[in-house]
Amino acid sequence: MAANPRQQAHPAPGVWSSSTLPVILIVAAVVVGIAALLPLLQSSGATSTAGHIRGLEQQREDMEALLHQQEVEVARLGSLERIEQEARIRLKMGSPRTIHYFSVDAAAPAPHRLPSRFLPPQEQPGDTGTSLWEDVIDWLPTP
Amino acid sequence: MTTPTRKQWSNATWRVWTVVGGMGLGALILTGRLIQLQIIDHSQYAEEARLSHINEITLSDRRGALLDRNGYPLAASEDAYNVMVERRAWEDPADAAEAAALISEATGVPAQQMIEIVATVDAFEVPVIRGLGYDQAIAVRELDLYGVRLLDSERRVYPEGNLAAQLLGFVGQDATGLTGLEVDLDSVLTGAAGSLTYERDGLGREIAIGERSETPALPGSNVVLTIDRYIQRIAERELDRALKEHKADGGTIVVVQPETGEVLAMASRPTFDVTNPDVSDESKQALFRNRAITDEYEPGSVFKLFTTAAALDQGLVSPGSWWYDSGVLEIDGWSIRNWDFSSNGSQTVQQILTKSLNTGAAWMASLCGPDVFYDYVARFGFGATTNSILSGEVAGHVRTPVNEPETWRPVDMATNSYGQGITATPLQMAMALAAIGNDGMLMKPHLVHEISGPAGVQANAPEQVRQVMSAETARTLLDMMGVVVDTTPTLQINGYRAGGKSGTANVSSEIGGYKPDAYISSFAGLAPLDNPQLAIIVKIDEPKDVPWGTVVAAPAFGRIAEEALAYMNVPPSEPVLVLGDQ
Repeated sequence: MAANPRQQAHPAPGVWSSSTLPVILIVAAVVVGIAALLPLLQSSGATSTAGHIRGLEQQREDMEALLHQQEVEVARLGSLERIEQEARIRLKMGSPRTIHYFSVDAAAPAPHRLPSRFLPPQEQPGDTGTSLWEDVIDWLPTP
Repeated sequence: MTTPTRKQWSNATWRVWTVVGGMGLGALILTGRLIQLQIIDHSQYAEEARLSHINEITLSDRRGALLDRNGYPLAASEDAYNVMVERRAWEDPADAAEAAALISEATGVPAQQMIEIVATVDAFEVPVIRGLGYDQAIAVRELDLYGVRLLDSERRVYPEGNLAAQLLGFVGQDATGLTGLEVDLDSVLTGAAGSLTYERDGLGREIAIGERSETPALPGSNVVLTIDRYIQRIAERELDRALKEHKADGGTIVVVQPETGEVLAMASRPTFDVTNPDVSDESKQALFRNRAITDEYEPGSVFKLFTTAAALDQGLVSPGSWWYDSGVLEIDGWSIRNWDFSSNGSQTVQQILTKSLNTGAAWMASLCGPDVFYDYVARFGFGATTNSILSGEVAGHVRTPVNEPETWRPVDMATNSYGQGITATPLQMAMALAAIGNDGMLMKPHLVHEISGPAGVQANAPEQVRQVMSAETARTLLDMMGVVVDTTPTLQINGYRAGGKSGTANVSSEIGGYKPDAYISSFAGLAPLDNPQLAIIVKIDEPKDVPWGTVVAAPAFGRIAEEALAYMNVPPSEPVLVLGDQ
């Protein structure tokens, strides 16, 4: 007697009847979940880094502003008007009644250094090339 | 159940087609609109969409500083901040009052003033405080108020106070030069603008990981002037002293280094508060002008130097040449007389200069003749601007047989020879005087020593204009000027030999002729005589006690020269005590 083909079509014990199926599904769900979280994690990481950079930039700007303020203050303190005022009021000095000239064979004192902001820009040594990492990043086919 | 009749079928078909047609028309309209939005007007809407979430701001860096020749800042910029308030954040009066009170506590600016500014200005964002200092700005930022932010700005500061106010000028709220060198050098002092483009969120804040591009702004260049703050201060102090002692209306002092044409000082009075100029009052705007280049005047007897130079250089006279002064010189029916109406008999050319004889100057001019005389006047730079970098400079007025043949008369040359009927600016006079101290070479006024910016340092070299007279003539004239000073005890300088000439001129009236009892007293001097390092013009307007330049202007010259030469380490002309290692 010939076998009934419909009876032979019973599903063979395999993946779908396996007891490992739930585990596979859970692992797959976790992988998909992690994969979905990755962009979010990257995004929040980048946001955090960008915020940190902005904060550092703000700090740098604040420090520069403070430096410039101090430089102007140094200039104010070195102004002739203030020096004369200090000499007259605090040190009780006055204009000379007579002037005597002396020739001396010593060099005149070197002028004191001004706030660097007002000096001609100077080239920084070692600031001529790019770093290895910059070269690598430039070499990569980034968009 | 009944079967529909033909008529009923017909009605049903018509209604279906009406609906289908309506839907089709609607679809067509929608499709057309989509084509318009997506294809035809695509770029417009794409741009609007981009602008709604992209913010683009212009960046500017600090304005360059104006420095004196030794690098001391005369005008510089420091960081400042404007407090910006979004109007919608202060729409609720209670919110506005609360925020304004907090800002007021941090800055000292009245809260009501800020609220009124926001209420009256129709803009998305309003600056309620301008030019806030660093400490106060940080205090405002730490308040972290909604709709309030700080906008970077800058504030012009003048460490030396009002020193050289008219020369330096000042800037407006937008840090653009308005007067003086601030406007003349504006393109150099102002840096290149940059830009910052970034994506923003619904509240207008920058999206940290959004699109961002920045083209940094470049700072303005620092300009090193030839002005020396020390000599400028001496000049201003002596000018103030002369005005006070003689109750004068105003005055100008210009100090030039003869060999290079470098302007070491340029002072004018009356002046203004450069740290807080009042631009709203039109009557005070005359104070802003640099009188050394904008105000022409009749130089009076100082001009006899240039008449003498012409006659000497042409070989027509020498210092010892004799001439007879009868006290009056008749020219075309006009009588030329000396300032003291004296007649001096036989006089040398040196005595003409020493005694400042008008008749003698007119005689020397007549020896030269109009062509030669006015040629020398032009060679000394009169009647044309000096081509300095300063805007607003006037040329002065020189009437000659060539430029005004219908009105010029021979008597004009006679009066011109002693500095009347001819006008010049103090800067022109200083440069012409400096030519005498520079072996006859006229220099261009040199005001900018170097420009130091992001592109490097650009040095400006002195420029020669022309050889006015021979070096021999210049030295002869210099010696004659020395005799003028030597024979006048009040003109002598402690430690140095100097040369000079005083002048007392009438003041032109606005209605024609001269103002009664009004004079301009001046002195032109060079020091030291053996190698002039300073050419100084002192001009005092309308002194009220005595008019004589020897009394009013010369003392200022003496004190400036004495103090400035010592400061410049110029060895005294006279023997001095020597200290050494022996």
